[in-house]
Amino acid sequence: MKWRYPFVFAFFILLFIFIIARLFYWQVIEAEMLSGLAQFQYGGLVKIMPKRGEIRTSDGFPLVTNKVSYLLYINPTEIKNRNQTISLLSSLLDITKASISAELLPDRLWVSIESGISASKKEEIEKIQLPGAGFEEQYMRFYPEASVAAQLVGFVAKNQDGGDQGYVGLEGFYDRLLRGKEGYLIQLTDALGRPIILNRKPMINGSDGSNLILSLDRSVQFLIEQKLKDGIEKYGATGGMVGIMEPQTGNIIAMAASPSYEPQKYWEYDESLYTNPFITNTYEPGSVLKPIVMAGALDAGLITPQTKCNVCGGPVSVSGYDLHTWDDKYYPNTNMIQVIQHSDNTGMVFVALKMGADRMINYLTKFGFGQSTGIDLQGETSPSLKPRNAWYDVDLATTGFGQGISVTPIELLSAFSALANNGKMMQPRVVTAVENADGEVKNVPAVVKGTPVSEKTAKVMTEILVNAVEKGEAQWAKLKGYRIAGKTGTASIPLKGHYDQSSTIASFIGFAPADNPKFVMLVILDKPTTSIYAADTAAPLFFDISRDLLGYYGIPPSE
Amino acid sequence: MKKAYILIILLIGLVISLSIGKAVLQNTLSTSGIYFGRIEQEINSYKTENTILSEELLTESSLTNIMEKAKQLGFTTDNILMTLDTSRPLAVRP
Repeated sequence: MKWRYPFVFAFFILLFIFIIARLFYWQVIEAEMLSGLAQFQYGGLVKIMPKRGEIRTSDGFPLVTNKVSYLLYINPTEIKNRNQTISLLSSLLDITKASISAELLPDRLWVSIESGISASKKEEIEKIQLPGAGFEEQYMRFYPEASVAAQLVGFVAKNQDGGDQGYVGLEGFYDRLLRGKEGYLIQLTDALGRPIILNRKPMINGSDGSNLILSLDRSVQFLIEQKLKDGIEKYGATGGMVGIMEPQTGNIIAMAASPSYEPQKYWEYDESLYTNPFITNTYEPGSVLKPIVMAGALDAGLITPQTKCNVCGGPVSVSGYDLHTWDDKYYPNTNMIQVIQHSDNTGMVFVALKMGADRMINYLTKFGFGQSTGIDLQGETSPSLKPRNAWYDVDLATTGFGQGISVTPIELLSAFSALANNGKMMQPRVVTAVENADGEVKNVPAVVKGTPVSEKTAKVMTEILVNAVEKGEAQWAKLKGYRIAGKTGTASIPLKGHYDQSSTIASFIGFAPADNPKFVMLVILDKPTTSIYAADTAAPLFFDISRDLLGYYGIPPSE
Repeated sequence: MKKAYILIILLIGLVISLSIGKAVLQNTLSTSGIYFGRIEQEINSYKTENTILSEELLTESSLTNIMEKAKQLGFTTDNILMTLDTSRPLAVRP
């Protein structure tokens, strides 16, 4: 009989061990899952939509933020007088009676009438106390400066899943960062569904979108948009663009294009206006490429500023093609300083042929042509350079004066900034810092893209460009007292295998002050009609903007 | 035996009083949920009001608005920097 006690004892011990093990399993190992299940029984999940981040200019002013708007919905089963409701809504919201009537079907319980209703309009509707009507709060993008920097900023629209998505520009490039992460919270309720204060947790797994802090100067952006608009009107151009960059950091100070659109009402504009032509459009740059080619030749030691051009006495014949100067004036034995001053095509043919195709491709690649600049904007295009075996002598010769090669304005601005920054080329950027939802600010470091030419070459080229401004064809427009380095460019437009003789793309690129540049600026006017030449159109616009910029930065004349 | 009996009674009493206490506390907190809900609603309405006001503030302080108002008041562009230059030639060199 004695075995019974140990047996019963052992049985109970084993039973307790089993119970303890089971309790340990449920209360420790599966505790989280079970408490989660329990919370679902006690309450419900509330989905929290993140607030999209703001886009702020360098002074902290939000160029893009969010505004409260309302969605008006109606429960058709609660409507007492259908016709009266339809008339009232039609007059208040400016929607046709037919479209409201089509929505208000009696078998529906929730019908969306209109979204994007302002707070004042909401109050107006609330006053008439429509039975069955209700409002849902929502956030939509708001642009305090209206269409300023529209093509740079981009816009937000609905994607295929009905969610918000940023398109083009910054909204497109930084969409994931701006969007934030959708979260949820568990709200415990009592038996009657009333919220219980206990165990209420903050947003789980979610966070609001980050804010972008730009290098863009709001005042400069506003200024160039006004000046560009006036310039287009004054010179009878079909459009134009201006880009300003800080050469030492690659910071984009301002970037504008016209015609533009209003991001708030993007659907009212043609889709072709959504993209930023400064980063997407390609064109044959013409004479503004000459300083880049010449800098390459100077850097390679093939020429010096005093090198005489021995083919500049008349048109140059290359592979059976006669290449002329733009005004058919020729300067025998001209030197390299004068080649840029007169924007002499034959002089540049001399330089290009001296360089040869390999060196030309090498330097163009070093200056970033044929590849993306890496600017943080969605939609950048980068026309590739021709393959080496497609470079014939005539291609080499015409590339010397900027024809037969396609570039984007941002590529040109970025390349030219190397001359202004002692030969060092910076990656252009628009966002300088990102502020997360907790207010932590993370700076975006500036990136050096390369050093296409030496400091010495950059300085020599700067002097050649200062001379071009002082004595070139745009000298009438220059600013007295300031040393500004720059170059005009009147590019022909390729049209069905030949060049359109009646219209051009006029541009001016330069930096100021030449000795310690504060900005590099590219001005482009499409098909100006008052004159087809850049010296009469893009150049005066460049100097007009420069005058205001130098005043804005408080830079006094040096001479 | 008597001591054990008292102990059991005390323990049962403690369990009952704690259960009642918990029920009372839960009920109190449950009803305070209504107030909590109201407070949250109020906070949300202030947040909305704040957003609407900041929207107005941004609109008023935008350069676009300032320029429009300046134009209405008759202000013109101020030339900060003036340079005395030769006048543009009548016929510009091509």
